[in-house]
Amino acid sequence: MSKEKFTLHPISAVINFVKVLKEMILPLIVVIAVNGFGGRGESEGWSSYIVYIIYAVLLIAMLVSGIIKWKRFRYWFEEEELRIEYGLFVKKKRYIPFERIQSLNYTEGIFHRPFGLVKVKVETAGGGATKEADAELTAISKEAAEQIKKEMSLAKNKELNILNEALQSENQVVEQRKPLFRMSQKDLLILASTSGGVGVFFSGLAVFVSQISELIPYETIYNEIIMFIRFGALLIALAVFFVLLVAWMVSVAITFINYYEFTIRVEDEEIIITRGLLEKKKVTIPLSRIQGVRIVENPLRQLTGHAAVIVDSAGGSLAEKDEKIRLIPLIKKNRINPILVQIFPDYHFEPNFTRVPRRSRKFFYRLDFLWMIPVAASVSYFFYPFGLMSLLLLPLSFLLGAWQHKTAGYWKDEKQLVVQYRLFSRVSLWMEKKRIQAMTERTTYFQKKADVSSIVTTIKSGVTGSATTIPSIEKADAENLMEWYEPTRKEPIDREKEQPL
Amino acid sequence: MRQEPINRLSEKGLRVWRIYGIFQTLVALLVGIGAGVINYFTGQYIWLYIVDGVVILLIGYLLIYLFPKIRWTRWRYEVREQEIELQHGLFIVKRTLVPMVRVQHVDTEQGPILRKHDLSSITISTAATSHTIPALITAEADELRGRISVLARVAEDDV
Repeated sequence: MSKEKFTLHPISAVINFVKVLKEMILPLIVVIAVNGFGGRGESEGWSSYIVYIIYAVLLIAMLVSGIIKWKRFRYWFEEEELRIEYGLFVKKKRYIPFERIQSLNYTEGIFHRPFGLVKVKVETAGGGATKEADAELTAISKEAAEQIKKEMSLAKNKELNILNEALQSENQVVEQRKPLFRMSQKDLLILASTSGGVGVFFSGLAVFVSQISELIPYETIYNEIIMFIRFGALLIALAVFFVLLVAWMVSVAITFINYYEFTIRVEDEEIIITRGLLEKKKVTIPLSRIQGVRIVENPLRQLTGHAAVIVDSAGGSLAEKDEKIRLIPLIKKNRINPILVQIFPDYHFEPNFTRVPRRSRKFFYRLDFLWMIPVAASVSYFFYPFGLMSLLLLPLSFLLGAWQHKTAGYWKDEKQLVVQYRLFSRVSLWMEKKRIQAMTERTTYFQKKADVSSIVTTIKSGVTGSATTIPSIEKADAENLMEWYEPTRKEPIDREKEQPL
Repeated sequence: MRQEPINRLSEKGLRVWRIYGIFQTLVALLVGIGAGVINYFTGQYIWLYIVDGVVILLIGYLLIYLFPKIRWTRWRYEVREQEIELQHGLFIVKRTLVPMVRVQHVDTEQGPILRKHDLSSITISTAATSHTIPALITAEADELRGRISVLARVAEDDV
């Protein structure tokens, strides 16, 4: 075991600097804008420059701290641990035992790629609560990254004393390197142009606008708007359309850049996802941590026969904010099964759904009517002529409910449960019985009269749970599902069937 | 029809829920008195006083008498070797199965009112969910906690 201490590539000083800069850019723009537009009159003289001076000092401080951080950072391998030493003012040391490391994630940003470097995020199981990687090596050469992996597997094998097997599995790895899925340019374009990224962009825009809204001289604008309205609604419509178009194009570009060359591979019981044009991201998900598999078809994509595949992964900072990882962002529906079968050989991907009985259709929209009718009635009353439009909500929600009713269903075999449902997009969720944490049968008074029940299953997803409801199925079916889940009653059958494995 | 779980909560639990109901009704009463005072200074409508009073009485009846009674009769639990089964719910009857293999830890807890009546609540946590049995005699709850934790350790992951 080498005790040589390694440093990061010098470029990481620049990356540190840029990272802090990125976080500061918005306030900086606002400050400059304020001084540029609103700075006339009283605030003349040196005092108007003080902000710039502060920022200049800050910038230099940031650059220096970036350099110091890089200078101070050391990592090495000792006693089957990854040890790092870092810190700007306070020297910190962190030792991570190799066996605790769940995954290594690689990212290649625009600064990394000219030098053949990668950013390595080291994640352990415990890292979930803070949602932060346990260790981050900002920029190291690809060979160094490989070496970490080598040291890790070396340490693990030493423990198990089966080096030979490791060699074998390494051979297997080479064989399996062929990607299971690679998103075609055409699919990428479809994904980009139909993605919900528009909403994301707008929320970003809203944030920005709220930041600068103080600078807008509302009175003058108000007068101008009155003029504008006189010019005609057409102009406004055009302006809105133009803004939407630009927003859409930006979101297409963002999606395109993020999902460029999207591929998935399976290596060593891990799924490896790589994607990105400017910043190459590589995410690994251990298969053992996957709790459920979802196929999601939003109505638009359902029409064109496309779907997305999302997996629920347990724990960890792996997916950062979102515990649901997009395994395949967009794919033709008929191509899904061959790929999923290879990744998840234990799952059965051709379910034959039991649908919800006709008589429970009312449960899909009746509850919404309860609040909708008074709301629509009062809106109609108070905003008399136009308020009547709100009555349209009623047939719409009825139709949505009927649609949800038509989609809902479930299927089970001894080991897994498949649930299909729709909020707006159609979702089919595969869950292995051993991954279901708890199951609840819910019966309301009216459901009882109609002899139906709902089943709620909960799987682990991220650091919390994710509950899925099979709504208003036949009471007998619901009880059947409960019995299926109950360990005691089906034990004799189970033992026979599962012993051979 | 599946059988209901066997065990019920302690009878004292019902009493504690009625006490909670009294507290909640007192809050409603204060609000009601406030509404009455406003009515006195603004309109002095007789019918408003009557509505006010009826609403408070109704709230008292529901929160102190009816709801605790329904909840208590509905609440059942059973701890078997391989799983825990719970049944509860006021308007919606919920029956939950938690396999022993999935149990991560068990806690008992006791607030001031529960302590006064020698009661405890017991919370069973899995990796993704948690389930509470609200009112058991403390000794019983402690015993149950021990039993569940032993069973959870023994239960083998057969799937």
